[in-house]
Amino acid sequence: MAKVFIYPINSLILSDLVERFGHKPLTMMNQIREKVTSISLDSPPINITSEDPKAGLKYAAIEVPAGVRGRMSLIGPLIEETEAAIIVENPPTNFGCVGCNRTNELTKYLVRSKNVPILEVKYPESEEEARDFVSKIAEFLESLPKEKSEEDEKAIEEKTTEMEDKK
Amino acid sequence: MTEIKKEEITKYIVISSDKVLPADAAMKIYESEFPVTVKETCFGLIVTGFREDVMAVVEKIRQLDKNHIFIKDRGFPAGDARRCRASRGGGPRPGFHFLREEVEMLPAIGAALDELEANKPLKKETKEKSRLKVSDLEKIIEAELSR
Amino acid sequence: MSAEDSGLVKIALVSCGSEYAGVQPEFDEAAAKVNAKFVYPEIDVASIDTIGKDFGLEVASGDLRLMMARAKAVVEGIANVDGVFITTCFRCAEGAIVRNEVRRYIHRHANIPVISYSFTESTTAGTLLTRLEALTTVVRRRHLLAREVQKGLTAGIDSGSTTTKAVIMKDNKIIGKGWVPTTKVLESAEEAYSQALKEAGVPREEVQAMGTTGYGRFLIGNHFKAQLVQEEITVNSKGAVYLADRQRGPATVIDIGGMDNKAISVEDGIPGMFTMGGICAGASGRFFEMISKRLGVDITELGDLAVKGMHENVSMNSYCIVFGTQSLVNSLAKGATPEDVAAAACYSVVEQIYEQQLQEVDVKEPLILVGGSSLIAGVPKALGELLKINVLVPENSHLIGAVGAALLASGYVEE
Repeated sequence: MAKVFIYPINSLILSDLVERFGHKPLTMMNQIREKVTSISLDSPPINITSEDPKAGLKYAAIEVPAGVRGRMSLIGPLIEETEAAIIVENPPTNFGCVGCNRTNELTKYLVRSKNVPILEVKYPESEEEARDFVSKIAEFLESLPKEKSEEDEKAIEEKTTEMEDKK
Repeated sequence: MTEIKKEEITKYIVISSDKVLPADAAMKIYESEFPVTVKETCFGLIVTGFREDVMAVVEKIRQLDKNHIFIKDRGFPAGDARRCRASRGGGPRPGFHFLREEVEMLPAIGAALDELEANKPLKKETKEKSRLKVSDLEKIIEAELSR
Repeated sequence: MSAEDSGLVKIALVSCGSEYAGVQPEFDEAAAKVNAKFVYPEIDVASIDTIGKDFGLEVASGDLRLMMARAKAVVEGIANVDGVFITTCFRCAEGAIVRNEVRRYIHRHANIPVISYSFTESTTAGTLLTRLEALTTVVRRRHLLAREVQKGLTAGIDSGSTTTKAVIMKDNKIIGKGWVPTTKVLESAEEAYSQALKEAGVPREEVQAMGTTGYGRFLIGNHFKAQLVQEEITVNSKGAVYLADRQRGPATVIDIGGMDNKAISVEDGIPGMFTMGGICAGASGRFFEMISKRLGVDITELGDLAVKGMHENVSMNSYCIVFGTQSLVNSLAKGATPEDVAAAACYSVVEQIYEQQLQEVDVKEPLILVGGSSLIAGVPKALGELLKINVLVPENSHLIGAVGAALLASGYVEE
């Protein structure tokens, strides 16, 4: 089972597909859950306090707006866990946690800079494209190791180098 | 990670099925007697409860029509005042709009999953469009102008 | 505040993600203090896809598009709100463009007050309070703010940190003025008020209504049983366009006070975006006082001196009231003329206002300069040079707050 980063990070379709094919989606929803169910804090609506944008300094400098750093304080830890990623190009509307495009640009950049297998696909606009979209994602997810072992870790690395070579 | 005695989670069940209606699915959960909270929404259901219970419930519902029922995590518990339309003063929560877009795509995704399951050959990649080369554009312009 | 004024005000929060910057609780706290509540305008979901083209501003961030859609919902009356608070992250160019255009759009198309602000994670409820107070004032006292002519016999007192100003107005004319340094808030107010009454030649009992503003507004308002107690953003905006006779359309008000300064973007006399300084005394009247002392001239002479000088002849390495003053003194020792030094001091202050206050306020003509420092002739000159704009200093510009308060208070005069 691989931890798969998805973009958009709150996508129903992506997180469902990742789980359906036996992997763990890294999603914003779980980060938010951790925030909002924490009983020690009360900073509605999502319990982000002024401390969070400071935690985001790990990913972007002080000159980067607070909203970007606050979002990065949630997304950054997921990127650190990432073992594979699916990035969807031109998704439709993007609001809330993915509502800031500067954050999204930084997120995708940081994911791409990691040495992990990445699938980049376009958001489907027709049934035919949807078929292509699903099959590409399925194929990618099938290629990821199901059971995590040292050998699998190596396989991921090989896969990455292979993909790098293709570029 | 924040540990609450026993971890409670919330999942969205989005139903895009001809066979199963949200009300049927909700009924199925009530019958199952799992100790979870269920809330019906326009897209399907929101289920809150302890992790094991919720996981078991969503899996059970998914199997009702597995390629046409979709699951996603939700950060907030069902009916949380912080995200409730009524208490936050009108206007849907931010994630709603994207979910709505994705829901529109679900019939196509479901059909694709059906095909995949039936082992149909993978669709050949369609050729990507790219920008016209300037030299080609120039030729076209010349051709158009000389008409 | 009277009973009719105290109803709950519904403010549409048009923001690109204040909840992700850790400032949302501060927003809510400030709103609660002025008995206001933030609401999130319901939008036509389908409009989201085309909002960029409809609005005419295409941006990449979804939340900024949502802001435009929400503004549209407010303008079209889909969302029933009393006011709008537009806010985006400080230092975001995309956000700043949308914030300004959305503010203008609402102002042009809806009769609803709008305030805009750019936040950082350090923004506190205190910072927001003045802004929300100004916004809710416009909502609750719209009939007052619409007033363009002073009626009856009214008084206005501006209890500032450095000086206390008082005016008596009758039938749209200033008939008495008082201006004293602030020592003890109440005593200084009494003194300034007495001066003004004496000059006007009217007994206290005949004054029909009073308005108070400035730092000490609550204390003196309570003492004199004033009808109107109002923060200085609203009062000064109104006072500036009244004194400059530019009550309609856009205007920019820059107020350089004794301790702080403000830049306010005004539309029809009502404040929109504004910034308030107050961290550094190097950009205030206090700096001019110190320079005058070092030059051995009275502060009233500093301006005329500055007009004759060339600021370019003096190099200043710091805006700081301590280091800046030091470098001016050093340049005197190196042979610079007092005229040049005075000019450099004026330039230093306006340059600092330009760099700090005007970053978030767009400069629309006319630019009205008010506050005590506006009387130092070198200041409007330096500001005009820096901004390449004609600077308007209305008569009695130092009495801005008191005049604004007296004008607004005349809304309480029974006809």
